[in-house]
Amino acid sequence: MAKKGAKLTAKAPIANKQSNRVTDKKQKVDKRKSNDPPVEADEEEWEDEDSEEDSEDESADEEGGVDFSKLEDINDSDSDSEINSDDDEDEQEEEEAESDDSEGEESEIDVDGLDLDGLDPEEKEELAATTRVRQTINNKDALLASLKRISLLPLDSNNSKKSAPIPFSYHMTLVSSAPTESAIPSIDDDLERELAFLNQAREAALRARSLLKKEGVPFTRPTDYFAETLRSDETMQQVKQKMIEVATAKKASAEARKQRDLKKFGKQVQVQKQQERAKEKRATLEKINDLKRKRKDGGSASLGAREADDMFDVAVDNELGNTTKPGGKRGRSAGDHGPPNAKRQKKNEKYGFGGKKKFGKSGDAMSSGDMSGFNAKRMKHGGGAGDGKKAFSAGAGGKPKGSKPRVGKDRRKAQAGRR
Amino acid sequence: MAAVYKSLAKTSKADKMDIDDDAKNGSSSSGVRKNKQRVLILSSRGVTYRHRHLLNDLAAMLPHGRKDVKFDSKSKLYQLNELAELYNCNNVMFFEARKGKDLYIWFSKVPNGPTIKFHAQNLHTMEELHFQGNCLKGSRPILSFDATFETEPHLRVIKEVFTHMFGVPEGARKSKPFIDHVMGFSVADGKIWIRNYEIREVAKVKGEGEEDEEENKKAKKGGDSNQTDISLIEIGPRFVLTPIIMQEGAFGGPIIYENKRFISPNHVRSELRRSKASKHVARQEQTRDNLARKRKLGLENGEVFKDKSGLDTRELFA
Repeated sequence: MAKKGAKLTAKAPIANKQSNRVTDKKQKVDKRKSNDPPVEADEEEWEDEDSEEDSEDESADEEGGVDFSKLEDINDSDSDSEINSDDDEDEQEEEEAESDDSEGEESEIDVDGLDLDGLDPEEKEELAATTRVRQTINNKDALLASLKRISLLPLDSNNSKKSAPIPFSYHMTLVSSAPTESAIPSIDDDLERELAFLNQAREAALRARSLLKKEGVPFTRPTDYFAETLRSDETMQQVKQKMIEVATAKKASAEARKQRDLKKFGKQVQVQKQQERAKEKRATLEKINDLKRKRKDGGSASLGAREADDMFDVAVDNELGNTTKPGGKRGRSAGDHGPPNAKRQKKNEKYGFGGKKKFGKSGDAMSSGDMSGFNAKRMKHGGGAGDGKKAFSAGAGGKPKGSKPRVGKDRRKAQAGRR
Repeated sequence: MAAVYKSLAKTSKADKMDIDDDAKNGSSSSGVRKNKQRVLILSSRGVTYRHRHLLNDLAAMLPHGRKDVKFDSKSKLYQLNELAELYNCNNVMFFEARKGKDLYIWFSKVPNGPTIKFHAQNLHTMEELHFQGNCLKGSRPILSFDATFETEPHLRVIKEVFTHMFGVPEGARKSKPFIDHVMGFSVADGKIWIRNYEIREVAKVKGEGEEDEEENKKAKKGGDSNQTDISLIEIGPRFVLTPIIMQEGAFGGPIIYENKRFISPNHVRSELRRSKASKHVARQEQTRDNLARKRKLGLENGEVFKDKSGLDTRELFA
């Protein structure tokens, strides 16, 4: 049936005014035919008739209005048969009547029932396209009959009152107290929707538990009851793993974000800390200076106290000199720092410290005028110019050949005594 | 020998009675007839893996189900009746796949109806959902129906059929004695949404308001039962069914309900395609118009515009 409806609606915009009417009429007549045979046969029939339709459309162009009146006749006959068959008790007949009944309902949505003659054909086509010319069947009597046929529980309330109440564990169905749809603000909101479904199920579970407990049916599974579960342990393991993965990923991302933020503000924090430290230092210094001044002012009463003050001052000064680096400027300007350390001294000696270094070893007027190393005696004795050291070193290699080697100490003394 | 025959005859007679009971309307003399359900679960050819997994999930949930091989035909569904009879089933759940993407599920009470055809959407199998819930295989579910199910006759029929199919009958062969899951059926947006939750009983948390009061009342009645609270954890699968038609018989008979709000997925797809095509058509039209306009001006094939009034510079100063 669904197939048929779709086909017809697809066709509707194409068909012109007359043929539109005809197809609708045809639909009606076909429906009457098709109520009895099963659907499988139905579908084949429809296909056949679709092919026929075109030829009928052409013929219908000439007939036009006549068709319309015919259609109404059919509607009338429908209602007639309805009345007649309602009286019948035969079940088969009743079914037919019910199906007729449903047709009566259908006529409510029929396009033909509207006054369309005043409209332009184009407008009419649009209307046909927008209004779904879809036959609805809602045969309530037949539905209830089939429900009665299959239902597990007696439908009439009188019946159930007489017999013993049916235990809940027999059917295990519960109907919620309120329609779930009213709890869903928007069907597209997944979270709200699922929550509504969950609440419905939860209500049922709570009610069912109390009912089952009352009936003495075991509900809770004991912890030592092991049996095959719906989802295998493997799957559950996977699920668990997945959850752990997600959790760790979340944690890691949070950590990373924290780190990023720290990096962003780290510089500012550092600067702030430095400023704070400097401020602290200044504060302590001020305090100490204050203290010093107070001591000076207040402690000049006696000599002994003054001495003590001096000692104290020295201590304080030392303290200042050691602790304050920014205060070093003041110390330098005072010029009270001692000689550089040993290493520095050595380096100064080696590489020089300050002054011009170029031509440091070349001779100039001063150096050539310097006669400090000249000794006339030495010149007479021969040998090199310069000091004794030089003569000695030269003497090792280049002594005049005529000179005797030096005698021993005793002999030299004796010689001196003879002179 | 005679005793054996007698007992056999008796049981077979009882079986027949059950079937007859199904056929007759109303309750039998004993008040409640035995809830005896067996469901034949099978699919047509051309199902996708997802449809197949959903079918497997459902089959695992129904200990009174009988899974069968794929059914070959899509047009001769009445043959399913014989098949169900062969397997001693009085319910058929038939997955019909069309075009390798659309899934229609038929629920049918076999000997004499009714049959309901649903269009299944938003299928999510247990495996792909990665929910934490789990329950015993074959434990009886609590079936929770929306209040809307009691309002309309066709919904009442659907509820009854679902009760037969998804509810595990008491004392079914492979069923487990404890109750640890609940199936929810809700009507929203003209569709039926189906969910499956595990019932986990947890230590009660104080201060839950009205729920607590209710619980306390129950506790007074039921004794020690309500020391724990119930929390639900979803198991899966999830799917949404849109009723399309109902037939009075089993895979046949007159149609007693048709959903006018249902739009075939084919129709939806064709509309989509058409809307896409309309863009192309519009562009095509525009180019055609452009060409026509150019031709009118005599500019075809890159020709230079020629002024026919004789005031063209080239003609004037030739």
